[in-house]
Amino acid sequence: MKFPAFAYAAPTTVDEAVALLAEDEDARPLAGGQSLLPIMALRMAAPSLLVDLGAIASLREVRDGPQSVRIGAMVTHAANARSAAVRDRLPLVGDALHFVAHQAVRNRGTFGGSLAHADPGAEMPVVVTALGGTMLVVGAGGERSVAPEEFFQGLYTTAVGQGELLVAVDLPVSPLRWTFDEVARRAGDLAMAMVAVGVRDDDNGCAEARIVLGGVSDRPCRAPAAEAYLSGRALTEDVAREAGRLAAADLDARSDHHANAALRRSMAAALVRRSLLRLAAGDPR
Amino acid sequence: MRRADKDGRLEVAATVNGSERRFGALPRTHLADALRNELQLYGVHIGCEHGICGACTILVDGLPVRSCLMLAVQADGKRIDTVEGMADGRTLSPLQDSFHRHHALQCGFCTAGVLATAVGLLRENPNPTRQEVREVLSGNICRCTGYETIVDAITDPAVLAAFAKGAGA
Repeated sequence: MKFPAFAYAAPTTVDEAVALLAEDEDARPLAGGQSLLPIMALRMAAPSLLVDLGAIASLREVRDGPQSVRIGAMVTHAANARSAAVRDRLPLVGDALHFVAHQAVRNRGTFGGSLAHADPGAEMPVVVTALGGTMLVVGAGGERSVAPEEFFQGLYTTAVGQGELLVAVDLPVSPLRWTFDEVARRAGDLAMAMVAVGVRDDDNGCAEARIVLGGVSDRPCRAPAAEAYLSGRALTEDVAREAGRLAAADLDARSDHHANAALRRSMAAALVRRSLLRLAAGDPR
Repeated sequence: MRRADKDGRLEVAATVNGSERRFGALPRTHLADALRNELQLYGVHIGCEHGICGACTILVDGLPVRSCLMLAVQADGKRIDTVEGMADGRTLSPLQDSFHRHHALQCGFCTAGVLATAVGLLRENPNPTRQEVREVLSGNICRCTGYETIVDAITDPAVLAAFAKGAGA
């Protein structure tokens, strides 16, 4: 269907954008439009005003820092994949980007838009949770930092309030070796289940593990029992299987027309097991 | 600041298939509709109109984009290429010619979008495997061909040679 009618503004600064969003409670920021515009076409949203962020140059920057890389909210998935800083220092982002939608969508869709939309089947929320990113949110009162655990509040729901804007994310460079995998019905579809797994090795095997699952629940979730179990163990087939079982047992899995909760738990267990074995073999791709 | 009410039209100036074009658009008009209704570029096909089918895929600043998921007013200052700009007069581009030779279409509804997607792929990777082509094509729905002949056309040696020289599209 055609989009419902809306007013349009393309501010050139974050301050102008925030002021426009604060004036009208039915206004919405427009990033790449690859989620918001389909929702409007399906008439599931009818904003009064779209505040197009495309003319705000500062939101398109990737800044390489000593401990972290700051990715602007309007950096497209395609630009992220091409960025040397992202490729060299945040390999997990590049691995996960292979699973994000299709080429034409990645050319418009943005990092910040994906996070602010908070679809449970999207990859970037899992990545920023895995890496322990810091979301930078600007409102009339200035900038605040939000951790992923606080940022993602459920289906399409985040900590970004009315009159606020997600402007960038600081992603720390991780000492862990990471891998990313997911299950979707077709290439480019939203994931039914996905996982980012990171390990730090020592002489005995796995010194530390971090596991973040997505698609299975209404937001990205850690697997604390599996992480604790893995610490100090060698990554054998049996250990990987048990870690998968523990990760799935922790889950508050959702059911929908794509997959019921039991199937999602089973996918989660398999993804964790396979990812750990790939890391054990030294082949994260 | 560029701004318009619901009923206000904004002027859009874009380079469309190599020519400077100007048109007016309401904020709610998506680019596919503007290209069809304002510029009579009926090669831009509208299928699902919410970003799933890929039929409306065009090139914006050289990159494939779903024209139903971009506002017409966002095209201001951009370079837009549609299927109408691919051939040189009556001479098909190497990619179009390959689609013709391989029978890579039946009804043709998806074809313009598939061509734009293929150009995006081949400019990035002028020697893709069949599997890579299939993965990229998963964003374009074709209900006639079963994709086999489309993959044949895209991986045809004449096409790959043309793109390797930077002259394929």
